[in-house]
Amino acid sequence: MKQVRSLAVLAAICGFGLSALAQQPPAEEPGWAKGRPKANDSAMKMAPVPAFPIPTSADKLPTPKFKLPPGFKVETWATGVLDARGLRQGPDGNILVSSLFVANKVYAIPEKGEHKAKVIIDKMPFATGIEYHKGSLFLATNEKIYRWDNVDGKLDNLGEPKVIYDKLPGGGDHSWKFLRIHDEKLYYEVGAPCNICDPGQWAKIYRMNLDGTGLETIASGVRNTVGFDFDPKTGDLWFTDNGRDWFSEELPNDELNHVTKPGQQHFGYPYCHQGTIPDPEFGWGKSCDEFQKPAALLGPHAGSLGLVFYRGKMFPAKYQGAMFIARHGPWNRTKKYADVSVAWPDGKGGARVEPFMTGFVQDNQYLGRPVDFLVLRDGSMLVSDDHNGAIYRISYGK
Amino acid sequence: MAKKVAGLLSCVTVLALVVFSPQAGGQQKAPATRAAVSGPKAAAKPPAVSYAERFAAICAACHGANGRAADPLVPVLAGQTSLYAITQLFLFREGRRSNPAMTAVGKTLTDDDMRGFSDYIGTLPAVAPPAPAAPPDAARMAKGRALAEQHKCVFCHGADLAGGQQVPRIAGQHEDYLRDTLRGFHSGARPGYTQAMVSAVSQIPEADLDTLAYYVARFPAGK
Repeated sequence: MKQVRSLAVLAAICGFGLSALAQQPPAEEPGWAKGRPKANDSAMKMAPVPAFPIPTSADKLPTPKFKLPPGFKVETWATGVLDARGLRQGPDGNILVSSLFVANKVYAIPEKGEHKAKVIIDKMPFATGIEYHKGSLFLATNEKIYRWDNVDGKLDNLGEPKVIYDKLPGGGDHSWKFLRIHDEKLYYEVGAPCNICDPGQWAKIYRMNLDGTGLETIASGVRNTVGFDFDPKTGDLWFTDNGRDWFSEELPNDELNHVTKPGQQHFGYPYCHQGTIPDPEFGWGKSCDEFQKPAALLGPHAGSLGLVFYRGKMFPAKYQGAMFIARHGPWNRTKKYADVSVAWPDGKGGARVEPFMTGFVQDNQYLGRPVDFLVLRDGSMLVSDDHNGAIYRISYGK
Repeated sequence: MAKKVAGLLSCVTVLALVVFSPQAGGQQKAPATRAAVSGPKAAAKPPAVSYAERFAAICAACHGANGRAADPLVPVLAGQTSLYAITQLFLFREGRRSNPAMTAVGKTLTDDDMRGFSDYIGTLPAVAPPAPAAPPDAARMAKGRALAEQHKCVFCHGADLAGGQQVPRIAGQHEDYLRDTLRGFHSGARPGYTQAMVSAVSQIPEADLDTLAYYVARFPAGK
């Protein structure tokens, strides 16, 4: 009987058996479900599971289980930071922490003392993209980019922001933001509004002046980047990109990409994945050779999020100038994995990637999920974990 | 209607007495009741308080001792998952989801309370609705089934509408509660923990939402 019902449902979804309802078009399926194999029960059971609404208490954190290369040490730096996502250096010795689906908050955590988070922005859905630059705090939601000026000394009472840009597309699919400020320009992305579709004008990385004017495209064909940074040696932009879902469990890989000609490169989406796989629907009439190849592959459904170039001096020389990449881990792959990886540009346009911090998965369950990084002034590095609402600190030596 | 309001008020009164009384929901628990608390988290470390007993003292007045109260506007908790329960307690505590009784309760909850109550709710088995006084309207049921297929309710709620993880069981939920909830998602008055329901129902006419509520409340079990 169940099978008969399922068949009836499938028939309805496929557009048959709808005669009774012909006056109404079938509802759009959610963007994340586009391309999902409807005849496969395992796939049909997978849906995004949001983060748990309570932070993990300090004694239950996975910190003692993390493994790092010899000489490195990891400690719990802050707890009780529900939905901790983006990390940025703020004013007055504070670390700024953003959130995504759950908390709707931005926190400030004093670097000294007990690292207790204070909420400085509240009731702001998709409060994810944050930056601080010369006394101004930037926040990009899925709809708008806000700027608060002269915030030094008044994080407790930010007042009203200016809206410097209000033409972001909104919505829930790949609509959250990652911000960087480089050479007095604000960089951000707008992801594809779906798993796989024609993204129209979106699926790009942009930059603008710090007042919201002078919008330019920096890279096209970018499905969803949630992490990018500039190589301190060359000034080039490197970014992670999350590969399409539902193609298969093992393909395609997420990409690590390198922008060498800003505004002129197309990185393949939705036509070509990981530089080598034409999309079974959108790839017809195209060749992967038309698009910029990735510098490295980051694993299938890896959820490659934050990326930072290590500019500190504390870590050994081989890590100085390397990129750290947070692999948040798959939500729709049977076998889970997550880690902090490290990547070195090879000087020939590519990069070598290896795991750096592991221990986030046990018995195919997440113990923690890394999101973003901040290199502190002493050269140690913070890692946010939205699964636990915690922040870890990695140091080297003594 | 007057009866419903009176019922709600009496619930709130009971809640106020229970929640704000220093004796209630308290620390002095008979060891025997601890065994009633199950769930993986409770098992790992014996809880200082029994959430079974606190549920009986605080929640059961409105929701029923078995999680299925007769009041058509009080949602059935029996058969809900722990994760769904905690997302809703979180929304009440954060002041995002609005309901006088639950907002009052939400404000008192610690993180441990949220886990304890939701883990306990997750142990309550589903309770079938009482047999209807009259058989369901066959035409309306057929329309509701077609709408549920058209709008892909089963994609997340499952073919048996029993939910899972953060997705609630809706089969057998009270029709009035379902109707108000669907209309709330439609108008934006009712926030979700995710955007899923807001986007799912935004384009559905209210009359069809009411038909869906009729059908889902009478969803034939075992088919």
